[in-house]
Amino acid sequence: MTQPDSSIPADSPEIIVPDTDVIRFVRLRRLWEGLSVLFASKIAVAGLVIVLFWVGVAIFAPLLTPFSPLEQDWKHPNEGPSEEHILGTDELGRDLWSRLIYGARVVLVILPVSQNLWIPGGTAIWGVFVALTVGTTLGLISGYYGGWLDEITMRLLDAMMAIPVILLFLIIMTALGASAVNVVIAITIVGTPGIARLVRSLTLDIRTREYIRAAETRGESPWYIMFIEILPNARGPIIVDAMLRVGYAIFAMGTLGFLGLGMPPPSPDWGSMVAKGREFILQGSPWAALWPSLAIASLVVGLNLLADGLREESMRYQ
Amino acid sequence: MAKFIARRCILLLLTMLLVSMAVFMITEASPGNVARNILGAFVTPEQEASFLAQLGLDKPVWLRYVWWLTGSDWQAQKQIGIPLKRIVTEKGFVEWWAVKKDGTLVRWKLIGDDLMAISRKPDGTFSRAVDNDRWKTDPQGVSVFRGVDTDNHVVKWEKGKDRKVWTFIMGSGWKETSGGPVEYIPLKKGFIRGDPGISLRTGRPVAKSLFIRLRNSLVLAGTAFVIVMPLALLLGLMAGLKEGSLRDRIFSVGGMMFSVIPEFATGIFLILIMAVWLQWVPGATVFGEQAPWERPDMLILPVLTLTLIELGYVLRITRASMVEVMRSPYIRTAYLKGLPYRRIVATHAVRNALMAPITVIMLHVNWLMGGIVIVEVVFGYPGLGKYLLDSALYKDINALEAGAMILVMVAVGTQLIADIVYTFLNPRIRYG
Amino acid sequence: MSKNEKLHPAIPDLKAAVNAGKLTRREFIRYATLLGVSAAAASQMIGISWPKKLAAAGPKRGGVLKISQSIQKIDHPARYSWLMPSNSMRMVFEYMTLTGPDNVTVPYLCESWSASEDLKTWTFNVRKGVKFNNGDSFTADDCIFTINQWLDQEVKSSLLGLVGSYLKPSGIEKVNDYQFKLHLERPEIAVPEHFFQYTAQVLNHRTFEGDMKKAPHGTGPYVLDTYKEGEICIVKRRSDYWQKAADGKPLPYMDEIRFIDMGSELAPQIAALKSGEIHLIDASDNPGPQIMKAVKGDANISVLPVATATTRVLRMRVDMKPWTDNRVRMALKLCQNREKILALAYQGEGLQGQDFHVYPKHPEYCEKPIPAYQPDKAKALLAKAGYPNGIDVNIAVGSEWTDIVRYAEVLKQDALPAGIRVNIQTMPTSQYWEKWTEVDLGVTPWTHRPLGTMVPNLAYVADDKGNPVPWNETRWVDKEFSALLDQASGTLDVEKRRQIFCKLEDIQVTRGSIGIAYWMNTWMCPSKKLKNVEAHPNLIFLFNEAWLDV
Repeated sequence: MTQPDSSIPADSPEIIVPDTDVIRFVRLRRLWEGLSVLFASKIAVAGLVIVLFWVGVAIFAPLLTPFSPLEQDWKHPNEGPSEEHILGTDELGRDLWSRLIYGARVVLVILPVSQNLWIPGGTAIWGVFVALTVGTTLGLISGYYGGWLDEITMRLLDAMMAIPVILLFLIIMTALGASAVNVVIAITIVGTPGIARLVRSLTLDIRTREYIRAAETRGESPWYIMFIEILPNARGPIIVDAMLRVGYAIFAMGTLGFLGLGMPPPSPDWGSMVAKGREFILQGSPWAALWPSLAIASLVVGLNLLADGLREESMRYQ
Repeated sequence: MAKFIARRCILLLLTMLLVSMAVFMITEASPGNVARNILGAFVTPEQEASFLAQLGLDKPVWLRYVWWLTGSDWQAQKQIGIPLKRIVTEKGFVEWWAVKKDGTLVRWKLIGDDLMAISRKPDGTFSRAVDNDRWKTDPQGVSVFRGVDTDNHVVKWEKGKDRKVWTFIMGSGWKETSGGPVEYIPLKKGFIRGDPGISLRTGRPVAKSLFIRLRNSLVLAGTAFVIVMPLALLLGLMAGLKEGSLRDRIFSVGGMMFSVIPEFATGIFLILIMAVWLQWVPGATVFGEQAPWERPDMLILPVLTLTLIELGYVLRITRASMVEVMRSPYIRTAYLKGLPYRRIVATHAVRNALMAPITVIMLHVNWLMGGIVIVEVVFGYPGLGKYLLDSALYKDINALEAGAMILVMVAVGTQLIADIVYTFLNPRIRYG
Repeated sequence: MSKNEKLHPAIPDLKAAVNAGKLTRREFIRYATLLGVSAAAASQMIGISWPKKLAAAGPKRGGVLKISQSIQKIDHPARYSWLMPSNSMRMVFEYMTLTGPDNVTVPYLCESWSASEDLKTWTFNVRKGVKFNNGDSFTADDCIFTINQWLDQEVKSSLLGLVGSYLKPSGIEKVNDYQFKLHLERPEIAVPEHFFQYTAQVLNHRTFEGDMKKAPHGTGPYVLDTYKEGEICIVKRRSDYWQKAADGKPLPYMDEIRFIDMGSELAPQIAALKSGEIHLIDASDNPGPQIMKAVKGDANISVLPVATATTRVLRMRVDMKPWTDNRVRMALKLCQNREKILALAYQGEGLQGQDFHVYPKHPEYCEKPIPAYQPDKAKALLAKAGYPNGIDVNIAVGSEWTDIVRYAEVLKQDALPAGIRVNIQTMPTSQYWEKWTEVDLGVTPWTHRPLGTMVPNLAYVADDKGNPVPWNETRWVDKEFSALLDQASGTLDVEKRRQIFCKLEDIQVTRGSIGIAYWMNTWMCPSKKLKNVEAHPNLIFLFNEAWLDV
């Protein structure tokens, strides 16, 4: 690593005085480039449509159904699709369509922290976001500094990756108990090592580029280099990876719900819906389990298509 | 190559060490009380403390970890100054004995204030004798003796001290005695010496249950693997051959559809359709004492579920790899050379296209294991996954650790195999 | 009862009660048999004939019965926490009495008994000629040893709370090898029924050393062959069982019974039952309509229904805030919309409960109205108790009891208008049992018991020292209630008992610690190949004369 020139203060304001218009223009162009990559791929567009569909119904859920997801129409439990309840009702007579779209909220739009408090950003999104933050930081530090720090971090992460995902989920969730926040923690712990490895390998590559050398010569702090210089240039693969991970996280939430370790009732998240509805499948009311299964499947397909399309197109673009 | 494998094996051991520590610590931190799980809700605090002491659960976590890993006999041996020996009786019970200088095996029992030595003769018969000479007086003036008790502990007895001790006495249950053992070291050989301990949940040696469970799981996973692999690779290659064709679209979208439906949903709906409505195949696995291969019909649905889940994933990767290869310059060159299409595909494309999927598949084993746990639960399959699930819910640390170690070994082992296979497929790579 | 002994003096009174229409014939038989009259004789007294067991049409010998059951860790029968291990072990170990599917208790290993007029001295005659499967003869010593095990503080048997409340070890008297007497501390009528509690299996006093698996020496029709926890339990027919079949040869008919652990997931078990891989699912610890609904209409499976006092108890710990205040407890109880709870949680397959632990088919049941759903009244009560803005409470439920989870979900919804915000905490069922007596608010499953006095004696009283008995999960002890319950336990006249129970029920409704929203019907759903079985309210297996049509 080149020793930074000590004559120039690291935080010297004279070095770049960017014109705000220029910045805006650059940003717009980047956005446009990104979008054109996206729209160039039919696969990506198909994926985007599916994902946007679910995000849309999640955001506008209250407008799309006359029923609350908790309202119990107790004279009509376990019914198939009808005019009143377009997807039917669950075992407590709750409208399945309402539960499905409010479930999409829990997955994609809000995180219920406690009974009376929720924050924006779905459970799966938060899980992946936190994993992304932690993993990216670890990966950047590990890849940029290298040496024994890298060695230790990577060996620890290797060990974590060697623990089968299901086992990790089991141990974490039985230890922490069932709640949305704990689901986020579990998704984070499981996702972090993979992201860290990816970011590290990207960092190792980018670190050798000219502009990093230049920044180092300018005397930028390592944090500046890692987060301002390296990270934006590694964003493509990270975004693609994150999309796949959101898909895995939704899948994992379903699995946890199935094992009775997901979110506490009466949460309408899809995993719990399947878990509870499955008791009635063999009794002749498969609806309560069928719809959320299909919802999970379609959303994961959407995310996969989007990620695939983006990856293929960005490769072609290069 | 040998050096590379050796390095990886060391890494495997290191990983297992780290994982075992992590599992120990997380389980330690989780709520739940083993004593209550086993003794029921009505134990008194004294009984609970005494029970925990006898299992060694009152010791600090690091010490228990060391004992679990390396065994406790070496430390116990140092304390009592007599060598210890582990024997297996004809009935299959494991017993620990102290070995006297003349080679006879001996253990002790405290009856009242008298120490009773029980000696085991080579023919399996026992003799009893009062053995009060072994009492030693410690600096505080208390008579103490450290020896092996009849329940596979090294214990410290104190005489004349009115200490309440709860012990489980055969025939009458929990008894309050005074002057009984005040300290226990449960004897075990330790995991690295081939003894994973006794399951707290079932009271059976972990190794005994684990072997059958592992075998069953391997049969399930193996069957699924043998079906999925050739099929997925073949379909993937066919789909990737002509990118964007109808065949490609059907295969890739179809494969993806099944692989993203959660396995528990696939499983239950398969039971509903195939077993309950159509009654073609059994919807559950009931082996009893039989081995899975004696009832192959029962494997159909679990294997089908796993196949549907895994097929799409492998297919997609193979397809992507094949597409990439077909676009590559050397295939174009081969075309230009005028080689027949079949030969290009068979000799040039396939070999190169298989490299990526095989490594990725091996890395995917980790994920596959998650699927197996779910499938085992859905079909009531007596495999390792279900055993692990139950153990985790029960805080059964010995069973959990042993199961986790096996899974880690499988996961890391398959990665190693993947690397080796990769070098054979890709001669450009040489490991130094 | 042997013929030369006198009838219990209460019998004529009971008979008069029948004639006066105060007691049903069925209840007469039940009490008369409890007092030592044989069922046939009791039937004769009131002029009906006891249906003789028809020699089943050509029972076949042989075959292997396969049952899906969770194979748990066991050591001492008196310490079973679950019915399931008692079901596999009752093929090997037997009971002194037998309470049949009709709730009538009849002699078994004790061939007869009689009670003194004041119901404080009971004489039991032990059946002669019974042998344990290791060859030892069964004598009064075995019965006394077994009873002493229950009463031993250190064994920690749930029977200590039941039998220990009226019997001390010093009150057991051995008359001779085939007779023993019990001198009770207070009158108790249900002694023979207590002897058929699932934890009351008779042990061999010569060989039992704390672990039944190491010395599985029972008097039952089968011997223990294999017991692998979490895997399988196999029992095999013995050739010298004391009961004889219709053809004069010893029972049982079947060669072997296999209990296979398939896990707790029901779907594979139902699928296995439908395909004939197993003959029966042991649902005794998790009864519910799931199996019945799934196999109804299947030509190969019979559905045998039975109404039971099995229930889910909404229990509030009276020594923990906010449940120390009866008004808060009352408020939560008022939030139960019983009809809705029954319909949604249990698919309508049961009876509505009334917040006291006596069910309408208990003989001493005193009729009370079904409490209405009154959220407004609940809100007012809460305000009076000092919670004008409502309260937040956590309810602990085991996630594998899906009907309990649904119960909690309905309660959460219906308690909202009253200002009670219920937060449902699900946990694996094993974790619930770890702390079922500890949580402040939770729902605990309670199994069927044939007499109304039995559960209250287990769950709503204190021991001699005034401490709540082990299974008193709510710590609720009420002086008046305990005194009345003691009185009821010693009252033979059903009409008088019912009057006491009217008061007991009122006390539990007005200041008790529990809510009971529904009583559950249960079903036994055996394969039609399994013949000659009846559904027992506890779903226990009485398979001595069962046979397989193979």
